[in-house]
Parts: sequence; structure tokens; C-alpha cells
Amino acid sequence: MKQIALYGKGGIGKSTTSANLSAALSDQGLDILQIGCDPKRDSTRMLMNGRLIPTVMDLVRERGDRNISIEDVVFRGYGGVRCVEAGGPEPGVGCAGRGIIATFQILEKLGALQADVVLYDVLGDVVCGGFAMPMREGYAQEVYLVTSGELMSLYAANNICKAIARLSTRARSRCRLAGVICNAKNMPREKELVEEFAERINSRMIQFIPRDRIVQVSELNKKTVIEFASDSAQAEAYRNLARKVMENTRLDIPTPLEIEDLESLAYEYIKE
Amino acid sequence: MSTSRSEGCTLTGALSVTTGVQDAVTIIHGPAGCAHHNVSLFFSLLHEQDIGAIPAIRCTDLRESEVIFGGELVLEALVEETVREGWKSVFVLSTCVVDTIGDDVAAVCSREYGVPVCYIPTSGFLGGVFQTGYENALLALSSFSCRAAPDGTVTLIGEKNLEYEVEENFYEISRLMSALGARIGLRYVRNIGTDRLADLGSGSLNILRDRSIDTVGKKFRELFGTPYIEALPEGFVQTCEFLEKTGELLGKNPESAVDAEIRLQKRMIARFRDFAGRQVCFCGIPGVVRNSPAIEEIIQTFDLSCDEDGIYLEVPDPFPVGTAGMSRLLHRWRRTVRADK
Repeated sequence: MKQIALYGKGGIGKSTTSANLSAALSDQGLDILQIGCDPKRDSTRMLMNGRLIPTVMDLVRERGDRNISIEDVVFRGYGGVRCVEAGGPEPGVGCAGRGIIATFQILEKLGALQADVVLYDVLGDVVCGGFAMPMREGYAQEVYLVTSGELMSLYAANNICKAIARLSTRARSRCRLAGVICNAKNMPREKELVEEFAERINSRMIQFIPRDRIVQVSELNKKTVIEFASDSAQAEAYRNLARKVMENTRLDIPTPLEIEDLESLAYEYIKE
Repeated sequence: MSTSRSEGCTLTGALSVTTGVQDAVTIIHGPAGCAHHNVSLFFSLLHEQDIGAIPAIRCTDLRESEVIFGGELVLEALVEETVREGWKSVFVLSTCVVDTIGDDVAAVCSREYGVPVCYIPTSGFLGGVFQTGYENALLALSSFSCRAAPDGTVTLIGEKNLEYEVEENFYEISRLMSALGARIGLRYVRNIGTDRLADLGSGSLNILRDRSIDTVGKKFRELFGTPYIEALPEGFVQTCEFLEKTGELLGKNPESAVDAEIRLQKRMIARFRDFAGRQVCFCGIPGVVRNSPAIEEIIQTFDLSCDEDGIYLEVPDPFPVGTAGMSRLLHRWRRTVRADK
């Protein structure tokens, strides 16, 4: 079983990448479980053809955590991908991080965390210990950073490296950085910038996903690119990503950059 | 690790005040453990004062679900339930957990419930220590007060409901006030009803339990213009000075009261003649022993010699109040000395 987590700045395209990656993996005949770890609950929406599935936290809110079955929280989407949304409290109250921890405990208790690939799609940044949960306790062993070439996106990715580096020092930790996925904004020299960033943090860029209008068109049709435009170059990019993820054996402890070094790096590429 | 009371939780400090209002209920907004710890502590400490009843303390019993989704609705429901039971006022204390998840306890308390619902800023250990909760509760309860002209009475501020000899100390201060022709009008906050909280501003003089609540004394002076005395007296000299200062602030001549007190002290000292000339060793909290002028007075008055080979005499904390407090202490020590023979 492969357990991977996608982290990155909010709005960078983690859910789009996750859903297309899951769809491409399922096309390989693999059993996939995608878990959206964000109170916004929209990680699996395209896999479910636009449907917002009930979240684990919705059910806990309604019934308490004792009357929940695996059928209540796991929904089959495109290609048989099993979809789960953690959900969370209403904005402005409670503790969403604790909600993620509770979701993991419930899924564990239900025996739901079984698949060829478990993919965790995690909220924008590691804002607290709760959102680091997929990296802890032996859940996701391979973390992929999703970033564009924009400075703030790289900054967020660098911060997540700090969390991975910190957690990887723990005795029982098996969490490592598996690579960087460039979800491009079509900036000049963006690929080279993200490649160099990846090397500087002791990793590598595993896939460059160009910006393409077909992504928005597919989403407007409530489908992943893999489903809506299977023959497109964009779908091929996601299939390449899926192949590389399955073949990837390189797992590193990252070396986060100092902010000054990160800014200098971005400046070198962005100034022209 | 020190286990001094001053390092306890704000909840205990605040409860030591709010439970002094007999027709009020105090709600601990947090996990059951926070309430259990405090109820157990109150039960055992009050039991030592021969008080069997456990104060009215409720708990929202927060669990995982409330931590994730927020606990404001649970608090609101418990406040409403409590109000339906007929309590005259409700005090709400927050714990570390609700402060961590960001419940807006003050906003829940500010809604209309039909009886006063008063939020005491506590936040468990996150909000500070015992002393912080004690002070915050004294200050928060002043929101019940009404402005009034001084009525000549004295208000006792911040009696520590959990300490030993609270009533003995109160009787001593009452005796001293009588000697001046004054009386204690309000015990803020011990064994009173919610309606009496309104009288906080009516007294002509506030007497603080001790110097640790000086900020409270200052705040009440600012709010009501009431002068204050910083602490209850310890030892012979302080008791006489206390009479002088109280008399001065109440506009009463303290001369005869002070003369009478000195005569009383002399008679009392004479009763403990057999205690004189002993070799003793005072033990207790080092700061209390070392810095107590009352201990120094006892050493001088009874010509005691102090060294490690002497009879161990325990110095209580808090130190007993007034001349009567000195008498009780000497009784206790004389018993120890006699038992040592």
C-alpha cells in the first residue's frame, strides 16, 4: 500500500491535481482512496461529478462518533475511486485541526484506510499539529509539494519542508519528501525555477503540469480532466504524474531554505 | 517542583470568590476534569472548615465534538438550564481548552437570560494562576454594584474562603470595628446573596484581605471613591496601627480603642508567661517565617532563643489576624512546648 499526501499553498491546485492523480491511478486498475483534509470539503468533488459528499465531521456533528459506518463516509466516484471528506467546523468556531485528528481516528477504527494508494489532499499549509496528522503516526509516508513558480507558493512549500524535516527527526517517523509537483501559472522560466527550488531543498521536480484552459472547462463540466478530456495533453501530464508516483522510490529529508535564499532564488528567475 | 497555592489554576482562584455568593451557580466551561479537580479540592478544604455542602458548580463537560465544532451552544444551553432552576445569578469561568479553540465566552454571557450572567476572565492555566482568577473574580463581580452615598460601614474585600480560620479572622475584625464604633456592612464575597453585591459601593471604607489584591483596592477606590486599608493586621503593633488608621479613615477618634487594645494585649501576654525564655525553632514557608514582624514581636516579647535545636513551632500561612490571632497561635505553640517535655 502506498500512502501519499499532497501539500501546498491554498488555491495552488492541490485538489485538482489530487483528483486527476487519483483518476489516472484508478485507470491503471488500482484501488484508490482519496481523503480530503480541508474543512472546505471540495477535494473529491470532481471525482464525484460535482457532488459534495457528506463529511466525517458532518456525521459526527449529527450522530456522534459511535454510530458511523464505513458506508456513511466512503463514496465511490470516477473509476471506483473511494472518496472521503474530513470536513470540519463552521468557519470561525471550534478547532479544524482537532477535526482532522478525530477523522483519522474514526477512519482507523472503521478500517477504512486500506487501498493500493491512499491519497491525502491537505489544506493549504501545515497550520497546526492537526493538519500535520497525515504526516504523523505512519499515515502518509510520501509527501508531495504542489507549487507554482510564484514566490508565495514557493514560500508555502518551503514552510511545509520545515514541518517534514521536523517530523522526520522523530524516532518512529517514516514521513519523507517524495518530490515537487509544479502546477504552473505559465510564468517565464517557471519550470527551471521550480526544478532548482526542488534541488535546493534536497528533492526533485517530479512533474511539470502546464496551465491549460481544459482544466477549467473540465471543472465546469464537473469532471476531472482524465474523465472529461482523456485524450488531451493535460490528461497525459496527469497520467505521467501517476506513473512517476508509482515508480518513485526516492524519499528525502528536505533541507528548507532560509527566507533570504528563497527570495534570491525567485528573484534570479522572476526579474527578467 | 513547587506546589504553592499561588501556582494553582485561575479556576480555583475565581471559584474561591464566586462560590461565596450563595444563591448563584458557577459554570465551568470546559472538560469535566477541570470541574472534578476543583470540586474535590473545595470539598476537602471546606470539610476542614466543617462545611459539608459542596458549592453550586456546574460544568459544560466539553468533549471531542465541542472541541472540534466549538462549545458556545453547549454553554448557552447550560446557562439557560441553570436560569430555569431559579438561581439568582450565574458566573461563567473559561478553561484552557475553550481559550485554545477560541470560544467567545464573553459574547455568550452578554445575551439576555433574565438573571445576571457574569463572565469571569479566567482561561484556566492559560489565563494565569490562582491569584489572577481571585483578582479577576473580585473585579468582575463589581459589575453588580450600584453607585451610592457612603453609609459609614466597612466592607471586607477578598476574604479567602478556602483558607483556615476565615470566620475567626472575621470575628476579630468585627471586634476591632466595634471598638471604634463601626461595623462591617458587607463581606465581599462570603456568605452573601446576589442582591448584596449591589452594595459594594456603599461602604465608607474597604479593608483588603491582604496586599496581594492592592490592584482591586485601587480599582474600587477609582470606581466608588472608597478609601482602603491594604491588609488585615498581623501581630500586636500592626493591630493597634490598624485601629488608628481605620479610625482616621472613618473619621472616628481611635485613641480609647487603641488604649483598650494595648491593655488587652498586655493581659493576654501575661497569660502566656510560662512560654517565655524557651529555645525554639520556627518552621513553615520560609518567606512567611523570615518576613513576619509578628514573629519578631513574639521573640522579643517572650525573650525566646531561636536555633535549630529548639522546639519546632509551625508558623501558619496565612498568619492569624489581630490580637485574637496571636492568642490562638500562642495557645497552639504552648501546647507544643508542653508536649515536648
